[in-house]
Amino acid sequence: MNGPTGDRMIRVDMTKQTAEIVPFPDAWKLLGGRALSARILLEQCDPKCDPLGPGNLLVMAPGVVSGTAAPTSGRISMGGKSPLTNGIKEANAGGNPGQDLMKLGYRCIVVTGQPKDAGKRFGLEVGADGAKVVPADAHKGKWNYKLVEDLAKQYPQTASFISIGPAGEMRLTGASIACTDQEQDRHPSRHAARGGLGAVMGSKGLKYVAVDAGKARVRQPAKRKEFMDLCKKYTKDYLAGPQMFKTGTSTVVPIANMLQTFPYKNRTEGQSPDAATLDGARIVESFATRGGGMHNCMTGCIVQCSNVVHDAEGKYKTSALEFETLTLLGANCAIASWEDVADLDRLCDEVGLDTIETGAAIAIFMDSGGMAWGDAAGAKRILREISEGTELGRAIGNGAVATGKWRKHHRVPAVKGQALPAWDPRPLKATGITYLTSAMGADHTAGLIVNPGLPAEEWARASQEAQLVNAVTDSSGFCQFLQPNLDAIREFYGLLYGEEVTREQIADIGWQCMSDEWEFNRRAGFKPQDDVMPECIKQDPIGPAKLVWDVPQEIVEKAYRRQPLRPELFAQKAAG
Amino acid sequence: MPVVVVPPPYRGPTAGEGEIRVDAATVRECIEAVAARFPGFRDQVLDGRGAVHRFVSLFVNGDEIARERLDARLAPEDRLEILAAIAGG
Repeated sequence: MNGPTGDRMIRVDMTKQTAEIVPFPDAWKLLGGRALSARILLEQCDPKCDPLGPGNLLVMAPGVVSGTAAPTSGRISMGGKSPLTNGIKEANAGGNPGQDLMKLGYRCIVVTGQPKDAGKRFGLEVGADGAKVVPADAHKGKWNYKLVEDLAKQYPQTASFISIGPAGEMRLTGASIACTDQEQDRHPSRHAARGGLGAVMGSKGLKYVAVDAGKARVRQPAKRKEFMDLCKKYTKDYLAGPQMFKTGTSTVVPIANMLQTFPYKNRTEGQSPDAATLDGARIVESFATRGGGMHNCMTGCIVQCSNVVHDAEGKYKTSALEFETLTLLGANCAIASWEDVADLDRLCDEVGLDTIETGAAIAIFMDSGGMAWGDAAGAKRILREISEGTELGRAIGNGAVATGKWRKHHRVPAVKGQALPAWDPRPLKATGITYLTSAMGADHTAGLIVNPGLPAEEWARASQEAQLVNAVTDSSGFCQFLQPNLDAIREFYGLLYGEEVTREQIADIGWQCMSDEWEFNRRAGFKPQDDVMPECIKQDPIGPAKLVWDVPQEIVEKAYRRQPLRPELFAQKAAG
Repeated sequence: MPVVVVPPPYRGPTAGEGEIRVDAATVRECIEAVAARFPGFRDQVLDGRGAVHRFVSLFVNGDEIARERLDARLAPEDRLEILAAIAGG
């Protein structure tokens, strides 16, 4: 047996509002998610195009093992030229659309063109019978939860949804793409958030994608028994281990605070006095009296790192209130209460905005005197205003750099136009090298290294290896929080297609993905001098050790030179 | 002498050292022995009351032990691994 065959792609032309099913090239069978998106973009998208114009592509690509029985394997990559960074972008999300597309045999959706009438809205319906573009003006301007509530009346219970909120429709460069989770209510709480791909989807007039896999079965591997045995063993070993994310990433807060990477007041300090009230342990404590709890965002997930957060009355408030959101919308804005951050998280999910970029933008607005530090009510008001198109709403919705320019503010912590996430490069030098050298810009999911004691001579290699492992993981469909390593991923691939995938091959997939992304950015006009930290990160010290970014550029540049493969690379777990 | 395995996020105070052999007979003595050599390490593992932080897990020879069992005895060939979830998201 050869494993899954007859895979297809959906090509959507939004200028003509047509959808065409075409064969998926067999040569790409080991490409999925991020690597597939990078390859398509490099081959089919002009890197100098206007990211919000008809020439940009929007790629939606599940991973190689998505749709199979492999645990926690349904991640989906959204890709395109980012209107935030003007470079290539991949943003990754959970939820069920990835699983559902692959169960139907669709390896990706590629959206091109743009409706002539920018005021029109459309949906894309995907099912076993094919795909078609349908009018969706009735859903124009809807917030994501209301949209999904209404779509649930139109489509079967088996459907999952990909959508944008008003931020994407307004083409704001902080806009996210939402995917629904596997709960019965199908919350639009899983966001492919970074880099403004929601604006790209909005520029194509596409308000939603409905994927109905109906009764489609999981994909069958070439070596079925061995694949299932591997799934069972992997699951058993994982559940017998420490399960580091069983209370979610929100409980990372105290450790991050301890390590001076819980930025406070627009990153002017590395620790927050509000760590105790922003600690995810408070969220876990709330489950006892309010309900909610930990759950899996996608079918088949064994990690269950996602929280379902209820309000004081026991009603659902938001889901996946994570460490980054607690940091950027909490500590970084001096907003002290996790409950306020939960409200902000819900508002970002509704309007369709990246919580990291939005938190960074609000902190810059506060830092520039636009509003008081810690003004949670004011922050909520801004997010509610986004749909009204106010100058303030637009600035915040367009992210940190736009807000900084509007306010003529000097402290704008961003790299390649994208706001720094919680993991601060001043104590975490190797992670800083990832931010500078990844084509994504400041993206911790591109390769996070939390090892403050790492010697300087190892920083560049640590960053490169983390970037490579994460590139493969984000192409596989596995969630980074399952923490797979390259040996595990290649073993799954080998059983899926009935042919061994060597260590060299799996490493080459990761390296080629990174190389495709670097090449796209080079053609887009990026130069080595763009690999720089903002002045505030080079000059503003944090912590008792007065840490600043002081890594010489010659060390940073080493991350681009491919290191010889070493055995440790294949045992290294994904981290993001 | 038991070996204390320090996770990467905690290797700032240990100057990058990930495995530290100590002359100690209990879990607590191991932690204190590392702390005596590397200032700053203790606060990463123990809180102000001397209890293990909620976000830290302890493993002896691959088996998790309860955080309260700081007085658990260790054999000379044992490995005490300190784990902390660091990632996210």
